[in-house]
Amino acid sequence: MNRTRREFLAGTAGAMALPLLSGSVFAQSEGTLRIGALNPVTGAGGPYGEGMQKMILAAAEAVNAAGGAAGQKIEIFAEDTQTDPQAAVLAAKKLIEVNEVRALLGTWSSGISLAVVPLTNDAGIMLMNTSGAPALSVPPANEKGLSYRFQATNDRFGRAFAEIAEKEGFKRPATMAFNNASGIGNTEGFKKAWEAKGGEIVSSVVYEPKQTSYRSELMQILAAQPDVIVMGSYVGDTTIILREWYQTGQPAKWIIPGWAANSDLVAALGPDVVEGIISVDSVSNEEAEAYAEYDKAYQAAMGKPGSDNVYAAMTWDMMTVLALAVEAAGTTDMAKVNEKMHEVANPDGTKVSSFAEGKNALKTGSINYEGASSVPDFDEHGDVTPDFAASFVEDGKINRRYIVKI
Amino acid sequence: MLSYLLAIVIITLIYLLLSFGLSLQYGSVGLINFGHVGFFAIGAYTSALLALSGVPLLASFCAAAIAAGLAAWPIGLISLRLRDDYFAIVTLGFSETVRIIIVSEKWLTNGVQGVPGIPRLFSSLPVGFEAQLATAALLLLVCAAAAFTIWRIINSPFGRVIQAIRDNEDALKALGKDPARFKIQVLMLSAALAGIAGAFYAHYITFIIPEQFVPLVTFYVWMAIIIGGVGRISGAIVGTVLLMTFLEGSRFMRDFIPGVSEVEMASLRIGVIGLLLVLFTLYRPQGLMGDYTKR
Repeated sequence: MNRTRREFLAGTAGAMALPLLSGSVFAQSEGTLRIGALNPVTGAGGPYGEGMQKMILAAAEAVNAAGGAAGQKIEIFAEDTQTDPQAAVLAAKKLIEVNEVRALLGTWSSGISLAVVPLTNDAGIMLMNTSGAPALSVPPANEKGLSYRFQATNDRFGRAFAEIAEKEGFKRPATMAFNNASGIGNTEGFKKAWEAKGGEIVSSVVYEPKQTSYRSELMQILAAQPDVIVMGSYVGDTTIILREWYQTGQPAKWIIPGWAANSDLVAALGPDVVEGIISVDSVSNEEAEAYAEYDKAYQAAMGKPGSDNVYAAMTWDMMTVLALAVEAAGTTDMAKVNEKMHEVANPDGTKVSSFAEGKNALKTGSINYEGASSVPDFDEHGDVTPDFAASFVEDGKINRRYIVKI
Repeated sequence: MLSYLLAIVIITLIYLLLSFGLSLQYGSVGLINFGHVGFFAIGAYTSALLALSGVPLLASFCAAAIAAGLAAWPIGLISLRLRDDYFAIVTLGFSETVRIIIVSEKWLTNGVQGVPGIPRLFSSLPVGFEAQLATAALLLLVCAAAAFTIWRIINSPFGRVIQAIRDNEDALKALGKDPARFKIQVLMLSAALAGIAGAFYAHYITFIIPEQFVPLVTFYVWMAIIIGGVGRISGAIVGTVLLMTFLEGSRFMRDFIPGVSEVEMASLRIGVIGLLLVLFTLYRPQGLMGDYTKR
């Protein structure tokens, strides 16, 4: 027993010493601008987190290759949120307190961003997120104007759904939502926009996650004879719902957000089931030069096309916009950098698509960064309004038909 | 740096309150409770919602303890008819029911959007280090009081009765004691502790959402008391501190072990804990601080 205790004490002492050690390691890298990458590497956001993190690293490399921002090299410290608010809060604390990062980039789900934003506000640093919840736009979450959102709000998604439903001539929409902030945000946004157009929703249901069957919810919806079903869902539940719907044989069209109606869904169900589904996503700015650069970096890091991960394009833009703002401010004082965020991203100014280009253009005048994920133009809440694309599944392929501007 | 360490201390102490309760239930009465997080959630939401409607924090903390304690009463009644695994199933169901109620009752809990902007403890102190230090000190005080209470209970006649319940319920009945009352009391006491832990959690993180109250929290607490040693205060302390040090410490390990990506680290973390659990149940079922005089 004595030995066990001694071993245990030694182990604890070792663990306690770790942070001290790390302090000395970090001390060697003075004179750099430290940025935290706080991404959902594991948990529900797992499919996206790794790409998001790697694109922050890749964009930082591009900045460093161009000589750094305001004369400083960028150094990235990465942590996993585990898509869990408590783990995210501790990870954010670690990044802010131990690594002394000057901004946090790439929080994913709304619950995480809402939990982390009080910490970044206290520290007076920026938080850039890819979450949809409207609460992030306004105080208390964004009381200091330090929070930036690179994803469309759920509300904007809902508006895009309504535009597409109207354009396609649907008359009797029904909605199905996954019971979380994002799922309900989508269908509520649709409802608001659709009713503003004078339409009516014939039926709506909110379902619980992680069920093996959604037959009863589906039957409730199909009983109202909708001509289109608008979803706020994820891949796993959408797969089950569509399979069960196909078995009923009742005709209906589907409007599904792009993160659920993707190539995984088509592969899981086969082309027959998914034929004619409308997949709606915010459009990565695919014609832009910035997108080509991002795509190249994503291919190199992940071995997949950049269109696979719309959030990775957002984190690429976060790093680039931040570096441009630092360059424009000429200092790493984050209060001053924050004032430049709108200036380097919003119109009026030379359009630029990379940090190197922007750095040059800044010498002669103001710039307007046109990014890979969107043309990030922040409104007064730090939100962007990307364009949306309606894609149709045809013969197992997701083909984009048209772009919707809201 | 200090502020981060304090954050870990605070989270550890919150988990310690949960461990105390669970350790008392399992170690003394032999109740296998897989739904501890339910009481945690009730405490967190009760205190958060009351505080947001203007109730002073002291009152909201008391309300959290009372609400969680009362919620344990019906569970206690069920425990009279169910033992061991069956009780575990019911409690697991209970905690999920609590979570689903929180998700569904949007008018009260704001559903899946969560409750933002919960007031902090010691908001008059400057945010950051001082307020955190005060919170940690208060938590330490509460933990010490809880530990002392549990120690007194275990070493009182009441404590000997509840240990007898664990060892041989029928013999106890034959002696004319009513095990039911004792079980319910133990359950309500540890639920109240979990409620206080929940209140601390809500006012520390300042944002609560149903996703935070998943069964994983219960199982973290179980891991802690299995590693530390069931039924002992020292076991709960050692287990919780070890588990939290490991979970947080693994963040730093990655800075030193090259070639381990964040994805691999996450899997490694869970893997190591799993392996530890297996090894402990095989070779040290009493845990690190367990009672080696028995068995």
